[in-house]
Amino acid sequence: MHISDGVLPTTIALGCYAASAAICTWSVKRTRSEDLPKVAVLTAAFFVASLVHLPFGPTSVHLLIPGLVGALLGPSAFLAIALGLVLQCLLFQFGGLTALGANLLMMGLPALLAGLVFYRFKGTGRKQRIWVGALCGGGATIFSALLLAVLLASGGEDFYGVAKLALGAHIPVVLIEAGVSAMVVSFLLKVKPEILDIPFVMKEKP
Amino acid sequence: MSQPLYLSGYWLLLLLFMPLAVYSGFRMLLGVMRKGEGGKERDWSVPQLEFETGAMSTVHRWDVRFKLASFLVLAFVVVSLQHHQTALAALLLAFCGYRAACIPWRRGFKRLLGMSGFLSMFLLMLPLTAVRQPDDLLLIFGQLEWLSFNLRGLDLAVLIILRATTVAMLMEPLLATAPLPVTLAGLSRMGVPQRITELLLITHRYLYVFVHEARRMQIGMEVRGFLKTSNIATLRTVGNFVGMLFVRSFERTERVYSAMMARGYQGHWPQPVSFRATTTDYYKTALCLALGILLLGCDRLLLVGG
Repeated sequence: MHISDGVLPTTIALGCYAASAAICTWSVKRTRSEDLPKVAVLTAAFFVASLVHLPFGPTSVHLLIPGLVGALLGPSAFLAIALGLVLQCLLFQFGGLTALGANLLMMGLPALLAGLVFYRFKGTGRKQRIWVGALCGGGATIFSALLLAVLLASGGEDFYGVAKLALGAHIPVVLIEAGVSAMVVSFLLKVKPEILDIPFVMKEKP
Repeated sequence: MSQPLYLSGYWLLLLLFMPLAVYSGFRMLLGVMRKGEGGKERDWSVPQLEFETGAMSTVHRWDVRFKLASFLVLAFVVVSLQHHQTALAALLLAFCGYRAACIPWRRGFKRLLGMSGFLSMFLLMLPLTAVRQPDDLLLIFGQLEWLSFNLRGLDLAVLIILRATTVAMLMEPLLATAPLPVTLAGLSRMGVPQRITELLLITHRYLYVFVHEARRMQIGMEVRGFLKTSNIATLRTVGNFVGMLFVRSFERTERVYSAMMARGYQGHWPQPVSFRATTTDYYKTALCLALGILLLGCDRLLLVGG
């Protein structure tokens, strides 16, 4: 779910802009300059993956994949998500122009955390990696739903109901996200296990 | 004291259906418009940002830097508005600006559709869950004492929708009236690191490449009889699909990077765009800022008055 314009108080929107600009700067610094174009190309792939809709009972949900982005890109994930969200806002109006900073924090922080958790606990076994992948996918979605609820609730007491509804609406998304993340990790372990070894941008030069 | 107003249960149904009606109304509108274009399928279409009308409107001729600055300021002014009257005035002004930029309404409607799901949630929940304050007007339905429809909540939801619609209407004149590279070059002149704007361009360019690739993979899956349902097999297939997309994109990054190096990429691109501001640009920007200040001023005066 993307926050649209006009929902957040202006001070919160501006504060989120400042915070996400700072984290984005850090993320760019952590990425080697020759890797930046590669991150941009990968972001396009993540963007397309997030357009995939999955049916869940009567409704359908689309993939968010912050967990996977974090696991694959490490510290550059925040930059990748920034690029993706700016384009989603510009192309589809998914997420408002003034709420861009808030949306970025909401998706970017879980991705960074998921990356950290994945590299800390992935271990060496195949089963363990798949489980940690599912945990990162589901956990990142829960974290971003919580951030969304907090941001919505910042509008005042009247918004608590909406925040609760938004939180509840993420339950199916969490399940699907965890499932798909596990499947993607299992697929990557079969096909190209080296991209799960170390974050893309931390690789040594060949 | 709250002033409860007792109504029959039918009203409750009516009010609950309102967000649904708004949402499906938008869907239908889009469907009708799409039929006019030959009935294309929904999924996978990423709209083109730039729109060639051939028309050179006032907005097209506006210097990109000034246009960006004015529209960003206006967007933040609009989301700070606290009253329906000023928000409605802003929306009307945005419609005028939209018309002045000679952009088809269909594009604006698509943007509204992008937000309609999220905004319907507010229209549904705010009237039912807004905190009861002493001078709120409450609608209470028959025996359902616990479920009251708070008109202040409805007001708040409508205000949010007005603000969001206004900003969405500003987006098209801002983005569709200049090629994206020019807009981004303008943005980097305004202080956004050039690196970021270049990355945005790369991502935007490869977006269409990957959409194309994903569509090919999807067609392949469909001719093999893949049908999305809610089961583990679908999850596995979609997982493989996404994984394959990632593997291909990781391999593609190497090729793209080599190709860029071969063409003399040195960490940044030459900037072919040169900007020159004219007096008209200053006038247009001054007009926008004046409108913004006027709106904000009226809004704050209303706050004092009402």
